[in-house]
Formats: sequence, structure tokens, C-alpha cells
Amino acid sequence: MRILIADDHPIVRHGLKQVLAADPSATVVGEATNGDEALEMARSLQWDMAIFDFSMPGRSGLDLLGDIKREFPGKPVLILSMHSEDVHGSRVLRGGAAGYITKESAPTELTTAVRKVANGGKYVSASLAEILASECSSDPQKALHEKLSDREYRVMWLLATGKQISEIAKEMGLSPSTVSTYRTRILRKLSLTSNAALVHYAVRHQLVG
Amino acid sequence: MNSAVEALADFKAEPVADATSQAKILLVDDEPKSLYALQELLSTLGQNLMIAQSGEEALRLALKNDFAVILLDVRMPGIDGFETAKLIRSRERSKLTPIIFLTAAADEMASMFRGYQVGAVDYLMKPVVPEVLKSKVAVFVELHAKSERLRESEEKLRRLAAHLISVREEERAHIAREIHDELGQVLTGLKMEVGWLAKRLKDKDLIDKTDSMGKLIDSTVQTVRKIATGLRPEMLDDMGLIAAVGWQAKEFQKRTGIRCRVKLPPEVKLDIDVSTTMFRIFQEILTNVARHSRATRVEIELVVAEDRVTLDVADNGVGISDSDMSGKKSLGLLGMHERALLFGGDVKISGTPNHGTRVGVAIPLKGKA
Repeated sequence: MRILIADDHPIVRHGLKQVLAADPSATVVGEATNGDEALEMARSLQWDMAIFDFSMPGRSGLDLLGDIKREFPGKPVLILSMHSEDVHGSRVLRGGAAGYITKESAPTELTTAVRKVANGGKYVSASLAEILASECSSDPQKALHEKLSDREYRVMWLLATGKQISEIAKEMGLSPSTVSTYRTRILRKLSLTSNAALVHYAVRHQLVG
Repeated sequence: MNSAVEALADFKAEPVADATSQAKILLVDDEPKSLYALQELLSTLGQNLMIAQSGEEALRLALKNDFAVILLDVRMPGIDGFETAKLIRSRERSKLTPIIFLTAAADEMASMFRGYQVGAVDYLMKPVVPEVLKSKVAVFVELHAKSERLRESEEKLRRLAAHLISVREEERAHIAREIHDELGQVLTGLKMEVGWLAKRLKDKDLIDKTDSMGKLIDSTVQTVRKIATGLRPEMLDDMGLIAAVGWQAKEFQKRTGIRCRVKLPPEVKLDIDVSTTMFRIFQEILTNVARHSRATRVEIELVVAEDRVTLDVADNGVGISDSDMSGKKSLGLLGMHERALLFGGDVKISGTPNHGTRVGVAIPLKGKA
């Protein structure tokens, strides 16, 4: 497995090589320090797989990925990024990458990802998978919280962030009893029984941040 | 009457500093003799006197010059004084230019009213009293100079504001990049080193220790990301305005529990400065929604047309009032206007009590028009 790596930070390149060294079948054949160099190396070297940093000086990100995929459509490119998955993840995959890993998860995920991608598969981390899944569920009826009215949704959010009924009433300009009524209705619509379950629901569906 | 004339005659215009600050005065009369007399009379004011012998000529000059005042003879062959005044006033550039009509004493009062209707600020009977004419003209010259100075200082303030906005934006982007790239990459390297170490350890206590070090590094990376994104969202530079607006709306909903319905166009590359401007205005709008509106829903629509990009944000909250908009706390709104103005755009804000606030932003796209 001949691997091309590109990252403008020596410390990261060093780390990458270290992580890859654990896999005896992997050999780093080229180390580019920016996007243009990466493209040059891709043209002049023999390689099976590329691991690129998403943001580098010069050509980088989706542009570089696009170039590589055009010239070497069959070869897998793994994108590493400082950014969390929700920012770039799905776009990078749509742009033709074989996988997307955040840099902090590289030590634990990189070797798995490399192996998976080398066999022609795609590598998606657990958290990115969740994001992709939620993007795919384009039918808004599927999520229970989509059935809440706008006002119920906000009350739900305030409850989920630990606000008391009285605080919510004040914040929304409603009476406490109205807020209580909303709470009952929200729990029923979400098929929940307690505030704790509601918090759990909100966290699981990434409704609070 | 006499004392009034004397009082006016006592009025002296400020001395003119240099040729560039000379005010332009237009004298219009079909009789060369009258023009000559007017020129002679007003030459002592030290201003730039221009002459026209017909309404047509006056119009041409008014198209190219900003006059402090126009002295206009009523009776002229061709386009008469009234018609000339009407046409001058109908042009954007000269719609506020003061016009003093010169008329023969024999003319009726009725024609005087007509004169005021078409924008005359004053009337002088021929033959004119030199002192009266001079002092009246001097008043307008002074007024003109003052409004010029005001315009200049407004212009300067605007340029200063623009400069501050762009400097701040550059600085934020720079700091964000430094923090994110430098600090972030070092942390990444550190994480990899710790990972390397962990794999070689056998002692459970030591492995636990490296685990917690790894977690600590992860949470520091999160913090670095949060700080950098707060300063300048990487989305904007990497993915463009459209993706960034969608992302910001999602973040906003997560952070406030106020639902966002977003309509976005297909992704296109837009000028980065226009994108930044639009994005910052969008953030300011959302900040206002979260702070003041009590809204439970925000509808956001971004449209990219041939020649401009528009953003429409409507909430269902209490609705902004006119006093909110003009109040001392409206600096944020002023900032939005200034940012948009910098790129020739505009921001329209309207509120309906208990039905919400709507903000419309339009920014022209240069080079695409």
C-alpha cells in the first residue's frame, strides 16, 4: 500500500507517519507540504491511496479533492481535517473522498480507515454516520420533534437546557400554567414521561448545543 | 424696510480660504447687460461666477455643476425662468439647489407664487438693490459651504467606519487562523504522540493516564475550534456564504431553541467580501432575534440573482418598533446599515407589533451585473 500524504504542518506529518508505521503493509511514498505539491506528487509518483489535510496553503479542500478525483478517479483519497464532521464531513464525501477523519481522532481511527479504504470501502466515523443519517431523513415527519409547534419546540428546548417552568414563563412572556400545559403536550407528542427523558431525547437528536 | 436692508448689508460672508473652496454661483439672464451688472456686483464676494444666457444653457451647466445658488431671470425667450427652475429642480443632482428669481417690478404677485411653487427660495425685484443681492447670495454661499463641510465629515466618518470594519474582519480572520491552525495542529501532533505512547504501555494505570490525557487534548481541540469559529467561521472561507448561512441557522436553533426554516439557493461561489458582509449582517440579525424578539420561529431566505444577493429574515416575535430602530441601543442596526452601504447595498427593517420583525438585505454583485 503506497500512501501519499499532504499536510502543511510537520508535526502532523510526523504523527501521521508514526501512526501509519504501525501497519507494516503501509508505506508513505510522498510527503507534500501544500496542495500544489500534493497535486504534483500525485502526478509524478506511484501511489495507491492519498491522505490529505483539508486546509492547506494554496490549492486545498474541495478544489484539490476535485482535481485529484478527476485525474485519478479510481484512487481513494482520505481527508483529514481540523474541523469537526458537522462542518465539512458530508460535503467532503459528496466531493468524492473515500473517508473523512478529524485530526484528533486520527490516532485511533486512521489505521482502521486506511485498511477499509484500501479495500475499496468508504470510511465514516460514528459521529459522521449520525450526521449523514439525519441528513438523509429528509422526511421531516420521521422525527417526533418535528411535530411540535414552534412554541412547543422552544419550550422543549428551554426544558432540555434545564430551565424551570417559572423561568420559561418569564422568558416567553407566558403564564407558568400555560408553560406546564405545553410541557404535558410536548411529553405526549414525544412519547416521553419525564424531564430527564426529554433532556436525553434533545441531546440524542442534537437539538441542544 | 430700510433697517432690514441695512441689517442684511451688514452681513458679511466668511472670507474664502482658497480657490478650491470657492462656491459656484450661476447667473442666468438673456440680456448681456444685466448679466454683466450682476457679475460686477457679485465679484466682490470672491466666488466662482458662471453665466448662462438662456434656460437651455442654464440646464446644461446645472447638470455638470453643484451651485450654491442660482440667480434666475424670469422673463427669457425660449424656456422661461419658471420652466428652467422646474427642470433644474427635477434633476436629482440639483433638486435642492436654491434659486433666486429676478423679476421686473411690473410682474404680478401671481407669478411670484408660481415661482415659489417651482422651487424658488427668494425673489428679487429688478432693478436689484446691490446690498440686498450681495447679502442674500452670501447667505447661500455660507450655507453651501456648511453643508459641504457636513458632507465631507460624514464621508470621512463613513470611510473610518468602513476601515474599522475591514480591519476588524482581517484581524479576526488572522487570529482565528493562527489559533486554529497553529494551536490546533500542535494539539493534533500531541494527540498522536500520546496515542503512540499508549500503544506501548502495559501498565493499566499508565494507560488510564494516557487515555485521560487524550480526552483532555480532545476537549482542548473543541475549545480551540469554538474560539476560532466564533471569530470567523471556517465555513465561510471553505464552503462559501450559502453553506455558512445554513450552518449558522442550524447552530442558532441549537443554541436558542428558536426554530429556523431556511431556504437556500444552490451553491455558487460569491465574492468573499460580499459574503463576509452578508454573513456578518445575518449574524447581527440573529443576535437581535435572540435578544429582543421573543420569537419562536425565524424564516430565512437567501437568494442569489444575476446582479445581487438578497437575504430575507422574518421572525414571529414582538416586532421591532420605530423607537427601537432610532433609539440609542440601535448601534447594531447602524452597523448593519454601514456594512451593507460599504458594498452599495441596503438593509430594510420593519416591525409589526406581535407579528414579528422582517429584515431585508440586498447587496449588489460587482462584475456579475
